[in-house]
Amino acid sequence: MSDEKISAAGAPVTAAPQKHRDPLALIVRFQSLIGLVLVAIGGIIFSPRRHGEILFLNPDNIANIVRAVSETGIIAIGMTFVIITAGIDLSVGAVLGLSSVVTASMMISGGFGLIPTILAVLVMGIVFGAIQGTISTRFRLEPFIVTLAGLQAARGLALVVSGNQYINISYGDGPGLAPPVFAVLGERLFNNTVPVATLVFIVFAAIATIVLNTTRFGRYVFAVGGNERAARISGVPVSMVKISVYAITGFAAALAGIVHAGQFNFGSANDGMGYELTAIAAVVIGGTSLFGGAGSMVGTVAGTIMLGALANILQLNNITPAMQLLATAAIIVLAAVLQSLVRRREGLGR
Amino acid sequence: MTAPLLVMTGAVKRFGGVQALRGVDFDLKAGEIHALLGENGAGKSTLMNLLSGVYTPDEGTIEIDGKPVRFNNPREAQAAGIATIFQELDLVPSLDVAANLFLGRELMRPGGFLDVPAMRREAKKRLEAIEIAIDPGAMVADLSIGQRQVVAIVKALSYASRVLIMDEPTAALTVGEVERLFDIMRKLAATGVGIVYISHRLEEVPGIADRVTVMRDGRVAGITEPHAPQAELVRLLVGRPLDELYPQRAKGAGKPLLSLRDASFKLARDSAGWQAPQGVSLDVHEGEIVGLAGIMGAGRTELLSALYGTGLSGHWEGEVAISGRPVKLDSIKAARHAGIAFVTDDRRGSGLMLRMAVGLNLVMSVIRRISPNWLVSPRRQAEAVKESFGQFDIRPKNPDIAVGALSGGNQQKVVLAKEILGNPRLLLLDEPTRGVDVGAKGEIYARLRALAAQGLGILVASSEMPELIGLCDRIVVLRQGRNVAEFMGGVDEHTVLAAANGREA
Ligand SMILES: Nc1ncnc2c1ncn2[C@@H]1O[C@H](COP(=O)(O)OP(=O)(O)OP(=O)(O)O)[C@@H](O)[C@H]1O
Ligand SMILES: [Mg+2]
Repeated sequence: MSDEKISAAGAPVTAAPQKHRDPLALIVRFQSLIGLVLVAIGGIIFSPRRHGEILFLNPDNIANIVRAVSETGIIAIGMTFVIITAGIDLSVGAVLGLSSVVTASMMISGGFGLIPTILAVLVMGIVFGAIQGTISTRFRLEPFIVTLAGLQAARGLALVVSGNQYINISYGDGPGLAPPVFAVLGERLFNNTVPVATLVFIVFAAIATIVLNTTRFGRYVFAVGGNERAARISGVPVSMVKISVYAITGFAAALAGIVHAGQFNFGSANDGMGYELTAIAAVVIGGTSLFGGAGSMVGTVAGTIMLGALANILQLNNITPAMQLLATAAIIVLAAVLQSLVRRREGLGR
Repeated sequence: MTAPLLVMTGAVKRFGGVQALRGVDFDLKAGEIHALLGENGAGKSTLMNLLSGVYTPDEGTIEIDGKPVRFNNPREAQAAGIATIFQELDLVPSLDVAANLFLGRELMRPGGFLDVPAMRREAKKRLEAIEIAIDPGAMVADLSIGQRQVVAIVKALSYASRVLIMDEPTAALTVGEVERLFDIMRKLAATGVGIVYISHRLEEVPGIADRVTVMRDGRVAGITEPHAPQAELVRLLVGRPLDELYPQRAKGAGKPLLSLRDASFKLARDSAGWQAPQGVSLDVHEGEIVGLAGIMGAGRTELLSALYGTGLSGHWEGEVAISGRPVKLDSIKAARHAGIAFVTDDRRGSGLMLRMAVGLNLVMSVIRRISPNWLVSPRRQAEAVKESFGQFDIRPKNPDIAVGALSGGNQQKVVLAKEILGNPRLLLLDEPTRGVDVGAKGEIYARLRALAAQGLGILVASSEMPELIGLCDRIVVLRQGRNVAEFMGGVDEHTVLAAANGREA
């Protein structure tokens, strides 16, 4: 029975100011940003200090946080599209691994240049995702199952390509060496402040935000998640939209794989293990509903950075990884509870 | 006078900033059938949801047999003997009919196993009592809206020991089915059960109700007796007298728009209980409103969805032509390309994105138009939304509210407005005014007439015979998937009914 109180998802349709805003709905709308601010404040308070300097706010530390989250962030951006259509993509971590292996081996053993390598890997990611999307729409299979199989397939392929070896990337001119510019992915720009990996993340996030919120395609994505049958009857090309969102996650995972290879200077079939779960967590914390039809890209970005900042404070205080996992768990549950409270509560606030 | 079975005093309920109930007093006597009327959004469903434990009142009290009660969830209300047929049916689509009927009170075999055969048998018996053929083993997802309504009714009847709440149970039922339902209600009332009956079909009221309460804007507007003249009911309901409900018919129709000649449609799944259109011949001309009449299972919805390419298989035989040119209507894309729009009778299942804003729902079928060069233009979107709000009295007048938070009738207006926004040439309507109040109905009829006057063709299926007779230029009667008779608008109701039932008039 759908008699729960309902508040609307998505951007307002009128510019007119809304009179009755439900404060709880507002909190949830910006929950990841609020969470980020809280974590930052917590970080400042609990940060260890050295010679009076707050280590958490040290530029190097901040650069480190945003660099460390850039790969899962890129994946989470793609995942946001999929989750808004009420789907899920479990294959992304594995596709990241496959992509980093293929990137390394194309440049090192294959002798391909930088541009062909990057293009080939991105196309591979898109195709991989599109195939999963096609299988799931064509045969009406749950994306959970299809992408779970995709996860296994991608890891398998990565093992085949790498021969279960680390493929080290050394730089230079000539065969067996990668072009030195590739190493820029592990560096920082603007006076050694902004990590390149983070730039890739931010640019991708910006493009994705525009696509989701202002294009026809973005509207279709919300429609498919909002009510697939209604979308179909309204003439939305539902299968095309679904295939496209998996192509987008595939692309994102490949992009993250390239960044990974460039940052760590090797490719391994085990890269990106479990990243899909971190990405899903970031998306959910960002306020996107696993039921589909509602979500926000900005939320995902904030959710990603918040998880990274949280891990960072705990690390700075030498708190064990076990505790970090527990803290993350608590935050995911809190975010989900907040969302369900709003759904449950009376309220026309949006 | 017997003491009331149930008394509600000063009920208040707010949803965020919206006050749905502003202090309502309501009572129900044992054995009474109490009709609850009111415009869309008046607060009828909300009031009943307080009784059935879906919501708890912000203020006010509920007493049963003079003792105050408080229901925190539907289960508690059910335990107190209050059964509810919800306006938006609460069936589980992925379970079969029998499983739905016994949900939460399953019959068991010793050892804790479900006694499926017994439940099927019992389900069959209960369905037969209402004389409607529904297979107890059929998936609810495969049933038509009318059939689902019957299942929900049968389910509620089976555990209504003290109070039965019926929120628009007849909205998708035809006269014969309604009459049988009324018989059952009378028998139930005679055993002392109090029944609250919500309906927008005013003509039903004198025949069934013992007392009438009319709500307006979250308050009780008046209590009257059921034989009050309709005009007085309407005045209480709407707060003013209404003009003639049905607009003038067209002077003459234009060129043929849709022509079916001996058209048959094959279904992929015959078992689903769908009645495939067989050898149907009919025409809809430009500027014409043609009605589809028939009893439940006659194939009205099936014909409309087949025309729109959602009919499960897409295999047509015979001639299907639009404006004289043969077309293959085998997909939604093909149908939309031919200028066809379809308003489904299942507004929550396949009409609306409930959690999304009203405005976003409205523009759903014109996304292309509001996004030239792929970017959604906020200006065009706002214009489209304004156009819809101008044409249909959707309340509250705020496009940013989630459509699921509107009252049932207002949701229906959104579904309708959304498809009309797409400027179709041929409009297929399935129960277009399901759950809409009298005032809004008149406005919708006028709107449809105005569209027809611009050359649009309309094919409308409805279980409400007066609506078909009053609105349509012609009425085609379907029986078992075939067109068996055709009448001009204004025809006598009994003539149409006889044809629909396969009897001599
Ligand atoms: N879940 C909800 N969240 C917010 N507002 C709601 C919700 N349910 C109802 N409302 C509002 O409360 C008011 C009364 O709605 P209600 O559904 O009770 O009307 P109704 O009399 O049953 O109308 P209808 O005849 O159309 O079914 C409406 O303004 C509606 O928008
Ligand atoms: Mg209602």
